[in-house]
Amino acid sequence: MVEKGQIKTFAKKFVPRIFKAALLGVITYIPFYFLSTFMKPIQSFFPWYNPLTSTLFVTVFIIFLVVGAFTSGTIYQYMFGVARALVTMIFFIYVLNGGIIALAVTFEGATANILIDLRVILAMLVLVCLLGIGKNVIQAIDFVSAKAETEELQLV
Amino acid sequence: MRYAVRALGWATKILWILILVFSVTSVYSAMNVKIRFGEPHVFLSKEFAVISIPLFINNTGFYDLSELNITADVMDCNESLLSTSIAFVPLIPRGSSVETTHNVSISLDYITSMAQTYLFNDTIFNVNMSVKLNFAHAIPFQVSTNMTVPWGAPLYNFSIGQISYNYLNLTHQELIIPISFENHSPYFGVEGTMQVETYNDDDELLGFSESDLNVPSHSSYDGQVKMTVDLSKITGSGEVRFYFETSVFSIGPVVMPYG
Repeated sequence: MVEKGQIKTFAKKFVPRIFKAALLGVITYIPFYFLSTFMKPIQSFFPWYNPLTSTLFVTVFIIFLVVGAFTSGTIYQYMFGVARALVTMIFFIYVLNGGIIALAVTFEGATANILIDLRVILAMLVLVCLLGIGKNVIQAIDFVSAKAETEELQLV
Repeated sequence: MRYAVRALGWATKILWILILVFSVTSVYSAMNVKIRFGEPHVFLSKEFAVISIPLFINNTGFYDLSELNITADVMDCNESLLSTSIAFVPLIPRGSSVETTHNVSISLDYITSMAQTYLFNDTIFNVNMSVKLNFAHAIPFQVSTNMTVPWGAPLYNFSIGQISYNYLNLTHQELIIPISFENHSPYFGVEGTMQVETYNDDDELLGFSESDLNVPSHSSYDGQVKMTVDLSKITGSGEVRFYFETSVFSIGPVVMPYG
């Protein structure tokens, strides 16, 4: 009876988390899949872009996302949230080549060098990631203080 | 604490939406900017020959284009700078079109000094061109290219053949000069007149003649010039002087020895 009850509690606690983590992982992977399919034919224009490195970034991101979903309700959720935001920030810096995109396009025998300065966009993306980090840190502090308060109340 | 978290959450969401909207509309706007070059015109000032290229920019996108700067450097095959030209448009507001001209000036002194070289010899010109602009006052954009423009000489391989004489009478003969050249120019035909003067070794004029030329682009000319000369003045050698007067260029004398 005890075992059956434990299994029930475990299932009640973890099945929704597993389901949520799997769903988040799939939802995150879909745009990346379409993006990499879109990038394939034009990849020669972006010599610095390595699909393997991008796959590595996305894998790490999804791992942090899934682990974060698993550990929801603990302080680790926010740690993984910070790690995820950091990975995203580094990924954007890598994909946008530090904000300066230089392409060489050959057209009718002549090579045109195209230079696009996307540092403003990159700064906005980095700002979003920093906001995400800040939000996770504040949430972690809030979580710890709330936990400490609950423990104090229980002691009293 | 919760309010701060909520505020940060909203700020993140709003920023994401802004970035997405800006990215999508930027790509859409960039695709709606049309830049077109018109038919070039050539005119002469006191010191320069100016090639004026009309430029039409139609910005039907959502964002302004600013600080449009078009630069073209023309260099000859020895990498000597012939011309630097700049066209600058400070602002092209969204939904408007701008018409301007890009002027390429080449010194007339240079043209005069190099005329014989370029009229008789094929060569290449290197053109370094760059277009810079600021998109939406936020994204600097630059395109630069290096082009090689082949120059085809309109009087390529200009030469005279073996000079011959036709007997006319006891005092005069008909001098026949075979002339050939190829018009390698892809831009213009050689249409006009060619005046030929023949001199003997003592620099005395033997005779002259004028003939019409009509040699289209990428075709060759193979003809004869005939003139009556005084038999007593013929020395067997000397020089032939050519004067060309065409719709595009005037040059002379071009001196060629014979005999």
